[in-house]
Amino acid sequence: MIWKRQIPILIVTIVGWITLLGWFIDQPDIQEFVNDDATQWFDILASFAIILGALNLIKLQVQKILYQKPGWIYSVVAVMGFLFAITAGFFVKGVDDSVAQWGAHVTTDGTLFKWMFDYMFSPMSATMFSLLAFFVASASYRAFRIRNFEATLLLVSGIIIMVGRVPIGSVISSWFVMYLIVLSAGIYINVWKKDMNTTFVFVAVGISIVTIAGFMYGWPIDKPGIFYLPAIQEWIYYYPNVAGARSIMIGIGLGIFATSIRYILGIERSYIGE
Amino acid sequence: MSKIQDTFLKIGSIDRRWIFLIIAAVVIVPLIFPVGLPIRPTDTTKNVYDSIEKLPAGSKVLLSVEYSPSTRPENHPMTISILRHLFKNNHKVFITCLWPDGQFMAQDAINQVAKQEFNKTYGVDYVFLGFRPGNEAVVKGIVSNLRKLYTVDVYQKKIDEIPLMNGINNFKDFDFLFSSSAGFPGTIEWVQYASDPTGIPMASGVTSIQVNEVMPYVQAGQMVGVLAGMPGAAEYEALINQKGSATSGMDAQSVAHLVIVLFIILGNVSFFIERNRSKKY
Repeated sequence: MIWKRQIPILIVTIVGWITLLGWFIDQPDIQEFVNDDATQWFDILASFAIILGALNLIKLQVQKILYQKPGWIYSVVAVMGFLFAITAGFFVKGVDDSVAQWGAHVTTDGTLFKWMFDYMFSPMSATMFSLLAFFVASASYRAFRIRNFEATLLLVSGIIIMVGRVPIGSVISSWFVMYLIVLSAGIYINVWKKDMNTTFVFVAVGISIVTIAGFMYGWPIDKPGIFYLPAIQEWIYYYPNVAGARSIMIGIGLGIFATSIRYILGIERSYIGE
Repeated sequence: MSKIQDTFLKIGSIDRRWIFLIIAAVVIVPLIFPVGLPIRPTDTTKNVYDSIEKLPAGSKVLLSVEYSPSTRPENHPMTISILRHLFKNNHKVFITCLWPDGQFMAQDAINQVAKQEFNKTYGVDYVFLGFRPGNEAVVKGIVSNLRKLYTVDVYQKKIDEIPLMNGINNFKDFDFLFSSSAGFPGTIEWVQYASDPTGIPMASGVTSIQVNEVMPYVQAGQMVGVLAGMPGAAEYEALINQKGSATSGMDAQSVAHLVIVLFIILGNVSFFIERNRSKKY
């Protein structure tokens, strides 16, 4: 029991403390351990983890085939792909040593592994990612609804980012955006007051003001900047977005700190199966 | 009025396969017949360009490639443009990969830019160190002792035998870092473990979806700038005056974004009509 419980906890506690102290104590041995040795250990362990991960994958897929679980036919493809990649990576190079040595063959043109990457992995991977465009379009059509104030805010900022970020956004004049705002406000006034005369006066006055201002200033496409889509999207990126992202990052940081302390003090023991 | 509302309701319940077809059409048509919309470089992109422009000739630049074929249309034009800019200004380039797939992407960029366009000499003008497993531990390894981590390059040549590697022992020996990243491990790990602790300036090229999480580092000055998605890549192509796949992709992306916005508006009109009708009855 001591080998399965106390010793692993002791190792984690000692290594955790040393790594933590490495940031605060300027002692060469501790510094060397934290910066060199520990990272080397991590590399070695990561290499073994790849082997374990591969074995686990093949075990699960083979089990699925043997017991003919739902979708087992896809597991056949997975196992065949796995075996093909192993063969191309370790046994069949496809070229002479003069063209590429073992190791370098992975990225050398003409080898079986490079062929597999270029003509199997790349197109399939790109296809999967490309499908997102279709699903995003379909999902935004069905799910992006103005149900309440928060949803409206999300929708408006989403549209500004989508249009302002691409070149077409920079050819949309800020005056056009102002006209749109006047018309949208007119719709809101109409819903609120339910009086066509008020709505008409509001829209007519709004359009007149924008038009007169446009003639006065010569209709510059990017002025006033507050109505120019690329300028608005940059502002959204720089301020509201950064504020939100920072708060999330600080939250995550505090979470990592709390979890690390739990590991170092031996409170968190999920890594030994408890 | 009722007929118009019925039409909107019909549009609202359109089969999603029609949406797929329209999206396919609006992406393909501008790719075949480009409109050539003007590209306006943003400040974050200009800052990356200016930082590289300010580096003295022969500066040692670490280029980290961490993306896979799935995000190639966004990240690869950035890598190509940055390599072009670096070689044009006669800088020395050291290429590493935090992603295994990144090695293939980097090799592709090297073949195109270093070999075909600039005819640069391997080991003298650039070195391809390749991929090492370990995520952020690799970044820490490069910061503390690169030679412990990389004993051979990607072609299995000993690091000690490569002339360009003379005097390169750790991250502090570089003058600039550019990370072309599509996620973890990537830009954020380079900021946290390499650039910020050592003070070596860095910039990054990321996918559009990553811009949100990278922007705080740019605003805090921990990164000199960022190329934000395909638009960022197109802006950089405009700045180095060499158009590429990102520029040609911008027309398609512009039209596709407009169409998605149109879909959202139509969907909402249909939603309001439906809601008003259900309130009535």
